[in-house]
Amino acid sequence: MFELEATADMLLMTPQVKASTEEPSSTRKIEVVLIEAVLAGDRDSFGRLYDMYAPMIHGILLARVPRSEVDDLVQDIFLHAYKKLHTLRDWAAFGPWIAMIARNRAMDFYRRTKETVEVTEDLRAPDNSTSRAKEILQLIRDLPEAYRETLVLRLVEGMTGPEIAERTGLTPASVRVNLHRGMKQLREKLGHTEAL
Amino acid sequence: MSEEYLWDKSGEPDPEIQQLEQILGSLRYQPSALELPTETVTEHRKSYLPLLAIAATLVLTVFAGLLWFSLHNRAPKTGVTKVVTPAVPEVSPKVIPNVMPKSDTTSDTTSPSEKKQSTAQATVPRSNKQFVARDIRRVHKPEVVPTEEALHAKEQLMTALRLASEKLNLAQRKAQGPASPNQIRNQHKIG
Repeated sequence: MFELEATADMLLMTPQVKASTEEPSSTRKIEVVLIEAVLAGDRDSFGRLYDMYAPMIHGILLARVPRSEVDDLVQDIFLHAYKKLHTLRDWAAFGPWIAMIARNRAMDFYRRTKETVEVTEDLRAPDNSTSRAKEILQLIRDLPEAYRETLVLRLVEGMTGPEIAERTGLTPASVRVNLHRGMKQLREKLGHTEAL
Repeated sequence: MSEEYLWDKSGEPDPEIQQLEQILGSLRYQPSALELPTETVTEHRKSYLPLLAIAATLVLTVFAGLLWFSLHNRAPKTGVTKVVTPAVPEVSPKVIPNVMPKSDTTSDTTSPSEKKQSTAQATVPRSNKQFVARDIRRVHKPEVVPTEEALHAKEQLMTALRLASEKLNLAQRKAQGPASPNQIRNQHKIG
């Protein structure tokens, strides 16, 4: 069933696939060049990689850990990536690599400080300007993992579907399905909460 | 719901998605400078240890083979039997027919009897030599009985090789290091 839907999606999205396949080759080249420069000792090149990927890492973390922890974790993840960059074999796969580091780091965070996180979340005074945003974010966090990350990257970080696919290493078809189904479930949840 | 707008922000904008974008946009990433520690040095350290280990193993193997071969050859040659070649049969001039025509005697300086002898000498000994050489190779393969000293040396060599192999394995494992917790696994499982 899923395969059929995915195939149908692939067929429907042929123009976008073509458009998205043109982008990654140029972006990958930039990444490869930047990593080469970083490994040669150019620290500024890593700053450019950080600028390119920080929103994605922020989104991945925001879908999993409390907002107050996200900024520090983003820094930690990039520092870790900087130290371990020489272990990355396929330089073009920097995006998927650092995305996986972020997911693992989010899991580690919950493993270490689960109880503390729950208390701080409850005690934090609600900010009027962002209270509605936090409510919606919480609804997104309650969605299945596959949908929440894609939705946060799309709705919070403002990335497009092809960008999400290219940066995270997921296939465009998967991202499209995740966006569509996640949005559908989010609408249902939003309708439910507004009815209450 | 506008699928195209959700996918790549093209097509007719979906008001509900736009509203969500506006609300959730307040949580968006705020650019901040990355503070890289000065002492952190990222080097492109390609690990050559596995290659070195493989090369060392090969060199050791070749060395061991050569050593073993030399030891094998140095062992005293006992039980070597004397090569007995069969006697070369005497060829009688009667057996070989006279091929040369008798009419051509004017230009030939040698007598017919001499001719017969020379042809017999030219043909017979060659075949005898081949026969003898083949016989030597087949029959006389002296069995080398390794001496006690050689056996001891072999045992020592094998122990040394085993130790070297273990050390190389250990070095290789160390060079590869422990499995990184941040390895990319099941990248496409999410979808």
